[in-house]
Amino acid sequence: MRVQLALFASLSQYLPEAAAEDRVSAHAQMVDLPDGTTVGQVITTLGLPDEPRIVFVNGRHAPDEHTLAEGDRLAIFPPVAGG
Amino acid sequence: MGDILRVNMSDLSITREPLPEKWARYGGRALTDAIVFAEVPPDADPLGPENKLVIAPGSLGGTTGPNTGRLSIGAKSPLTGGIKESNSGGTAAHALARMGVSAIIIEGEPEDKLGRYVLRLFADGKVDIVHRHDLAGLGTYETVAVAKGIEAAEHRMSEKSSFILVGPSGEMGMKAAGIAVTDPAGYPNRFAGRGGLGAVMGSKGLKLIAIFYEGLGATEHADKDAFNAASKKFGAALREHAVTGQGLPTYGTNVLANIINEAGGYPTNNFALGQFEGVDGISGETMREITVERGGNVKHGCHAGCVIQCSRYYVDKDGHYKTKGPEYETAWSLGADCGISDMDAVAELDRECGDLGLDTIEMGVTLGVYMDSGKIAFGDADAAMAALKEIRKGSELGKILGDGAEATGLAFGVKRIPVVKHQGLPAYDPRPIQGIGVTYATSTMGADHTAGYTITANVLGVGGNVDPLKPEGQAELSQGLQIATAMLDSLGLCIFVAFAVLDIPAAFEAIGEMMSAHTGETWGADELMGLGKEVLTMERLYNDAAGFTAADDRLPAFFYEDKLPPHDVVFTVTDAELDSVYSFVPETAAAMGITKPGS
Ligand code: SF4
Repeated sequence: MRVQLALFASLSQYLPEAAAEDRVSAHAQMVDLPDGTTVGQVITTLGLPDEPRIVFVNGRHAPDEHTLAEGDRLAIFPPVAGG
Repeated sequence: MGDILRVNMSDLSITREPLPEKWARYGGRALTDAIVFAEVPPDADPLGPENKLVIAPGSLGGTTGPNTGRLSIGAKSPLTGGIKESNSGGTAAHALARMGVSAIIIEGEPEDKLGRYVLRLFADGKVDIVHRHDLAGLGTYETVAVAKGIEAAEHRMSEKSSFILVGPSGEMGMKAAGIAVTDPAGYPNRFAGRGGLGAVMGSKGLKLIAIFYEGLGATEHADKDAFNAASKKFGAALREHAVTGQGLPTYGTNVLANIINEAGGYPTNNFALGQFEGVDGISGETMREITVERGGNVKHGCHAGCVIQCSRYYVDKDGHYKTKGPEYETAWSLGADCGISDMDAVAELDRECGDLGLDTIEMGVTLGVYMDSGKIAFGDADAAMAALKEIRKGSELGKILGDGAEATGLAFGVKRIPVVKHQGLPAYDPRPIQGIGVTYATSTMGADHTAGYTITANVLGVGGNVDPLKPEGQAELSQGLQIATAMLDSLGLCIFVAFAVLDIPAAFEAIGEMMSAHTGETWGADELMGLGKEVLTMERLYNDAAGFTAADDRLPAFFYEDKLPPHDVVFTVTDAELDSVYSFVPETAAAMGITKPGS
């Protein structure tokens, strides 16, 4: 399945190499994943640092066990805040 | 405990009186509130002689405690019509506290309506007022340059000099005018922005306050060793937490742009959309890249003793200082809310607002509303700049824009006017992030995100998790944060310490320990939260007397009616829940023995 993956701030560097046509924006690109992949599996595959993070699937918070579906957008942030 | 410096602009007299015993526990917001509550009639004309401008460092101001140098400025607000405390960084709070000044009260009104005055405080305790008509109409940057030149000629300038000042918008009495405070490098780029306090200062004929604090050391403590230990513990917690230790110092507050956009709560084109296509152009990541490439400063504190250091400078293509690295709120208001996605354009608008002395949140929202009227187009940065130039000219259009979003929306017949208690909404849409809607609706300050920053648990996973899209739990979340914030603002602590305080118990303990060691009184969790309640109670009673009712504790109708994409949601927290946020007021008022302002 095709999923849009977006990584921000200090996590940007973990975005895999992507072909030009798969790039969506500075922080996002399309990736191919086996059906039934969970958020946690993506995190492990990418090798993201073991620290708290904020995960959204289609703009809603999602736990690591969340199973992704075709066309989803997965966005992951390190701990950030401001105001 | 310091003194109150009372400056009467009617007869240009200055008196120094000891802080009354009843206010001994108050600093910062608690003290500005107590003075406004006691001395400014709720029906006073905000720009008339009865209003008073009160400037106070927090209870921990002047100490070496981490992040304790925030400044509170209070008055009756010309924008909201209620009580106002606007909070600023910069060097002034520590400077005042080190001079033994707990509060400056500016009262009365000068006989010479066109007069421009400078109040000067010297390290040896001398205070004077000088007439300085040559500063009339100058922008904030030029004002500081001219004032520095004159003082330098008389050998008074040093790095230990701090200025509090207004720009032309304040002199013209505009309701979007803020008060600028200089940062450690002397730039007038920190602001007590909200609520039109610049207009109050302008109405007093006061252009600038200069504080020369060379040679003054940190204030004394009741128990120095205990204070140092608590202060160390607090600093360690701030460095340990991922947000205050890494996120904020690396990217600044604008790191929020992408995450709030992701959550669908990034107000775009005057609150028509919840996501901005051009967010990449104005995000914190982009701002950092541009600044690093151009050789700008990407990390410093707004005052000595800040260990978080979220500040940075934005520089032009040649590497010259342009403005403070736009905060998240500013990059949003002058960016996404106006459909502008170019960081350089946003920085130019920010610089212009700063020089005019305008609140960037109110002005960005105002420009968004103006664009929504069709007079100028969304995304047109040149037209936005031209509109700001009208403010400098003081033209008819400029006067409308300078009075803020509501004045502009009413003048041009705009349907969506995003204000609560007449004050423009900040950078989070309350439909997909409902907790912040509770704060906007109920805060005594008008729409103000800092008053109870529910983005923590709603979006950022700090201090727990409360689903932002549902109404449940939002009133309680907002109430707790409003109380805690009122406390932090009174101690002079930067509210960004809250990110660590909400997650690390030792950080909260350390605040009480610093207060106990500094004052010699007992300050535990109960006393700290009790102080927060007292602050909100004074504010609430003042606003009641000024004529606010439950109807003022609501969001504009369109937030209940127009669904916001991408989540297609409206604001659903009930009126009863909104009305529950201040349920503690009667009990606290009774315990304090107050009923109405002046009592
Ligand atoms: S964290 Fe930022 S706003 Fe707070 S005191 Fe430090 S520089 Fe100022």
